[in-house]
Amino acid sequence: MFVAIASPVRRALLDTLSAGPRPVRDLAAEFSISRPAVSQHLRILREASLVSEERFGRERRYQLNPLPLREVGRWLTHYEGFWRDRLSALRDVLDEQP
Amino acid sequence: MTDAIRTDSFFPHPPEKVWRALTDPELLASWLMPNDFEPRVGHRFTFRTDPVPAHGFDGVVRCEVLELVPARRLRISWAGGGLDTTVTWDLAPEGRGTRLLLSHEGFDGDDPAQQATMRILGGGWAGHLARRLEHTLASEP
Repeated sequence: MFVAIASPVRRALLDTLSAGPRPVRDLAAEFSISRPAVSQHLRILREASLVSEERFGRERRYQLNPLPLREVGRWLTHYEGFWRDRLSALRDVLDEQP
Repeated sequence: MTDAIRTDSFFPHPPEKVWRALTDPELLASWLMPNDFEPRVGHRFTFRTDPVPAHGFDGVVRCEVLELVPARRLRISWAGGGLDTTVTWDLAPEGRGTRLLLSHEGFDGDDPAQQATMRILGGGWAGHLARRLEHTLASEP
C-alpha cells in the first residue's frame, strides 16, 4: 500500500481521476508518459482498490474508488452522535448516584 | 479527515465515582449498553444494542479489556460491523471533579485501501483532492 501511493505519478493519477473517469490514453497524454507506463501505475492502484476499471467498447476507463472512505465516514458520523448521547446519559447517571 | 473521535468532558464528581460508572457492569449498562464486562485485563465481553443493518452491524460489539488503571484509564477493544477499533477513557482529577477524555480510534482499520485513502486525504499533499472527492460523494445517490 505504501508502494501504491509512494509514487508522485500515482498520487497525481488519483488526483486527476477524482475529477471523473478517464481513458488510459488521456492519462498518458496528460502525464507525458507512455501508455504501458500509465497502465503499470494503474495496475498497482487497482490492486490497492484505489481505482477500478470500466470498459466502454474497446476503451478502458479508470475511475477513483471512494467507497472505502465513505464507509469510514458513515461509521465516524454514527459514533460521533452515539458518544454525544452516551456521555450525556453518563452525566445523568453520575448526578443521580450518591 | 480524521480516523478517530475524541471528546473532552468535565464531570463535577470525583474520579473514583466516574470510574465506578465505567467499570460496574450495571452502572455501565445504565448509560452505555447492556454488557458482561469485568474489570480485568484480558476479559472478553460484549455490548448488546440494536442492529444497524445499513452498516452491516448485528447489534453486538465484541470487546476485550486491554488496559485498566483504577480511576485513571480504561482501554478496551471495540469490534462490530466490520470495524476493529479501540475505545480509551482517560480520567484526571480537576478541582472537585473529573476531566474525562474519550478516544475512539482505528476507523481506518487494517484495510490497506481504506488506510491509503485516509492518508491521501489527510496528508495535505493535495488538499483540493479532498474537496473534489467530497463533491463526488455528494453527487452520488
